[in-house]
Amino acid sequence: MRVDPFYVTNLVGSLDQAQLNAQQLTAELSSGVSINSLSQNPVGSGENVLLLSQIQEDDSFTQSSSLVTGQLQVADSALGSVVTELNTAVSLATSANNGTMNGSNVRSVGSQISGILDEVTSLANTSYQGQYIFAGGQTLTSPFNTSTATTPAVTSYTGDQGVNYLESPSGQKIQLNVPGSQIFLGSGSNSVFGALNNLIADYSSGTVDTAQATSDTAALNTALNWVSQQRVTIDNSMTQLSAASGAVTSVKLQLTTAQTDLMQADIPTVSTQLSLAETQQTALEDVIAQLNSTSNTLFSKLPG
Amino acid sequence: MGTISSAFGIMSQALDADQQALNVVANNVANANTPGYTEEKPNWQENSPLEIGSLQIGQGVTETGATSVRDRVLESRLDQQQQMAASSGSRLTSLDTLQALFTPDSGSSSSKAGDIGSDITSFFDSFSSLEANPTDNALRQSVLSTAGTLSSDISGAAASLNSQRLALDQEASGVTSQVNALTGAIAQLNQQIQTISPNADAGTLEDNRQRDLSQLSQLIGINQITTENNGLAITTTSGALLVSGNSSYQMTTGTVNGVTDFFVGTTDITKSLASGGGSLGGYLTARDGDIPTALTALDQLAYNISTSVNTQNNAGMNLNGVTGTTLAPLYIFNQPTVVAGSAANMSVTMTDPNQIAAAGAGDGTGDNSNAVAMYNLSKQTIVSGQTPTDYYSNFVTTLGATVSSVQTENTAQTASVTQLQTQNNSLSGVNLNDEASSMTTFERSYQAASQVFAMLNTIMGSALNLGEQTTVS
Repeated sequence: MRVDPFYVTNLVGSLDQAQLNAQQLTAELSSGVSINSLSQNPVGSGENVLLLSQIQEDDSFTQSSSLVTGQLQVADSALGSVVTELNTAVSLATSANNGTMNGSNVRSVGSQISGILDEVTSLANTSYQGQYIFAGGQTLTSPFNTSTATTPAVTSYTGDQGVNYLESPSGQKIQLNVPGSQIFLGSGSNSVFGALNNLIADYSSGTVDTAQATSDTAALNTALNWVSQQRVTIDNSMTQLSAASGAVTSVKLQLTTAQTDLMQADIPTVSTQLSLAETQQTALEDVIAQLNSTSNTLFSKLPG
Repeated sequence: MGTISSAFGIMSQALDADQQALNVVANNVANANTPGYTEEKPNWQENSPLEIGSLQIGQGVTETGATSVRDRVLESRLDQQQQMAASSGSRLTSLDTLQALFTPDSGSSSSKAGDIGSDITSFFDSFSSLEANPTDNALRQSVLSTAGTLSSDISGAAASLNSQRLALDQEASGVTSQVNALTGAIAQLNQQIQTISPNADAGTLEDNRQRDLSQLSQLIGINQITTENNGLAITTTSGALLVSGNSSYQMTTGTVNGVTDFFVGTTDITKSLASGGGSLGGYLTARDGDIPTALTALDQLAYNISTSVNTQNNAGMNLNGVTGTTLAPLYIFNQPTVVAGSAANMSVTMTDPNQIAAAGAGDGTGDNSNAVAMYNLSKQTIVSGQTPTDYYSNFVTTLGATVSSVQTENTAQTASVTQLQTQNNSLSGVNLNDEASSMTTFERSYQAASQVFAMLNTIMGSALNLGEQTTVS
């Protein structure tokens, strides 16, 4: 049977292929990435897009949650201070109501409660990074103002009932705020400002209408409990946020591992393949050099 | 009855024949590396014997030229396979350039640049951050900057695809002149072959014609039809006549819908050329199939992201408390009217970050319900029944699978070409060992004939001297 006299050319083709193979493996080794083009692993490339997107989303949520954690902590500590202030007001009012104080002392209690009102108003107008956190959706304007035109004075709310939520990658909605009116101007005896203003009016003259003042003090106590209840919402949000953040972080860890497994070159395997490719290349080169020598045809054996 | 002189005649013919055979060997060795050369074998023909009564006396040998060792069927199969391999080869080259635009993001920060998948996520994530503080200027600015990155990467990819398409178009139209030159040459060779050798292999002329055919097969898909008197008709795979006998028909180009179309006569054969084969087939498949498919996918993505985000932003309220209207819409992206061209035209038209409608209509400016809704767009099936990220993921998978299948196809076809080439070479290539052996044989034969001639001369001398030893030596 006749053979292809140009088989060396084919061998050169194989040599090219072996070199290309070695080149690709070297690129994989130097970059450490196993998928350098879509066609190398189409399904893996698509998977990679999804994994990276989820990792990025998780990252973003972790950042957002650290932002809002700050806001929730400020809200919580503001409400904590409000509770302390109101406790002081309740004990002041209770001592004023027991009928042992003279007029000037009663007025002094009134002005102390008035100071507490100012303090609570300022706490209700707390802002965090430029946002009034108890203003519902109207975060750019300070929500509480007290008008002394009437007696008792009236504290009004210029915010709204807007509630913001932060959505986690899994779709969980975490409440970020409680509207100020709900906390401080609850209906009936749940209104902090109503109770405080009433008590200030009760003690302003120096003589105490004990029945009225006792009822107003009871109302302040109720309002105090109400604020504590509202604070629970904020605390719950912080707990939820921390749980969600933790869950997201652990999911992200898993996703990152999956993504790394997908994209990272398997160094031992690639090194072995590279060494094989190099051996093949050397062998081919030797074969070609051997075959290409002129002593390989019958002509070299002819005389002359 | 044989005579000494007739033996002289036989021997001198044998010497001639051997010389001619040695010529053929010399020609083979000389052309051992000439592309397209087919090995030739000397033809030996026994001379008709002299018949005297019942006696037959052999009259030696004549060398009647050389015949090329050729298998037309094999050659034509090789041509066909070359057409397919050339087609998938040029398509693969185009696809490799195409897929380089969408190199997978390894996850390191440097590889994220230009990755549309991570741009999409960054853009929608910027709304998730905005949820935390909807009035914050830096967070609003980040929405616009991620939107800018997304739109410039999508429009950049579309621009690259368009310029790639243009480059392919030019490459394709450049093939025309080569095709015309080759068909012209083949027609000329047809004429020469029909004149010189209508009934037998035309040797060198045939080699030349075959070489031209092989080159033509690299360029376009053709059918070969052998006609009378050793002629050859060539049509495109769809049947448009390119060469018939000694006339060739020019392929011409013209611009149709912004791209080059190909004509024979007045017939537009672009579509059939694309599926026909040859490098032109590959270029056209990439130009009219692969690149437009990728562009359409990007257009769809750009269109749906732009319109959905615009609509949602328009439905909310910006930081100034204004809700979008028909006359003054709150659009983040350039609002596309049709899908086609959406990717190339994608851009951010919003310049003032306060225009981002994070709040729901009628809510306070610190509300974030519309930001939540915008973020949720990334989880909704807003692009052809898929979420934007899923759509992009499917797009890269589909593109990668296409490239990979063309790679496999090309590898198989190239292997098949190599195999056929090997078969053809082993039949028609010049094997130097064979030539050395033939040369030795003919040389020996020549030496033998010379010896016989010398002996005859001695015999003739003896005859002339009639037994005397010295007169004629």
